[in-house]
Amino acid sequence: MSDIIKFADAEVGSEAPVLTHMLGRTDLVIYAGASGDFNPMHTDEVVATSVGQPSVFGHGMFSMGILGTALTGWVGIENIKSFGVRFTKQTWPGEVLSTNIKVTSIDQVGNKTIVSLDCSLMNQDGQVKVQGTATAWRC
Amino acid sequence: MTDYSEYVGRATSNSVVVIERGPVANFARALKSEESYFYNVKDAQDRGLRGIPALPTFPFVMEHWGLFAELQPEEKLSGNPVIEVLGPLMANGGLILHGEQAFEFERPLVSGDVLEGKGQVVECYQKESNGHVMTFVVTETVWSDFNTKEKVVTSRSNVIHRA
Repeated sequence: MSDIIKFADAEVGSEAPVLTHMLGRTDLVIYAGASGDFNPMHTDEVVATSVGQPSVFGHGMFSMGILGTALTGWVGIENIKSFGVRFTKQTWPGEVLSTNIKVTSIDQVGNKTIVSLDCSLMNQDGQVKVQGTATAWRC
Repeated sequence: MTDYSEYVGRATSNSVVVIERGPVANFARALKSEESYFYNVKDAQDRGLRGIPALPTFPFVMEHWGLFAELQPEEKLSGNPVIEVLGPLMANGGLILHGEQAFEFERPLVSGDVLEGKGQVVECYQKESNGHVMTFVVTETVWSDFNTKEKVVTSRSNVIHRA
């Protein structure tokens, strides 16, 4: 485990603190309420299993959101310029999800600095759930 | 393969949303954020923000909370091109997948904002992948400050039907 690097001091290759969370069914119910996405595949085990799913599964936007929480915690909400992902795998209750955010380049745009990052969320076995990039301003 | 190029440029949404403190803070809690500025407006103001900010993925859900009926534009859209493309495909089965999602910010969203959003189809096409016909509908919604008309955030979604 390396020391925590502040975003202000980050260099190419620096990594944000990792956010780890074990996904529970209650998390999905809370997210459904907070987002308004009440697709029963995420909250109703009876419906999900009746169409052949092994259980309820996570909202893709919950995965992106957890990654967004880790990104925001490191760079600061007011500095986020862009954030985009591709959804690659479903998430399942009981999985331990962790965020990976790494600086890929630091560029000068006029008198501002822009930091580019690779971001992903994976489970305990290293299976990637969402993968993408972000950019953030740095004074 | 069907040619869907006529759908590009069609409007998908035209709406006004209000960003409120409660939903924004509740969204941060649901996504496990412990930053104090989502919960204490003094901490948000100390960062130079006018109100409680919203996590970056909030634009995807904000119409659920902030679409107040009396603020909506009188001009109604005729039809929804996303449903016109995906509806007939779903009638023959298959799966709808959220393939990609991206946000581009000019500034953070904060409680007190009133935003005006205009969405349109920016890409619509089919291709074959592993024996499945995949239909891609990419939509982009530009959200601007209702009062100043300055752009705040652009949200881009790629929704896929897999036959």
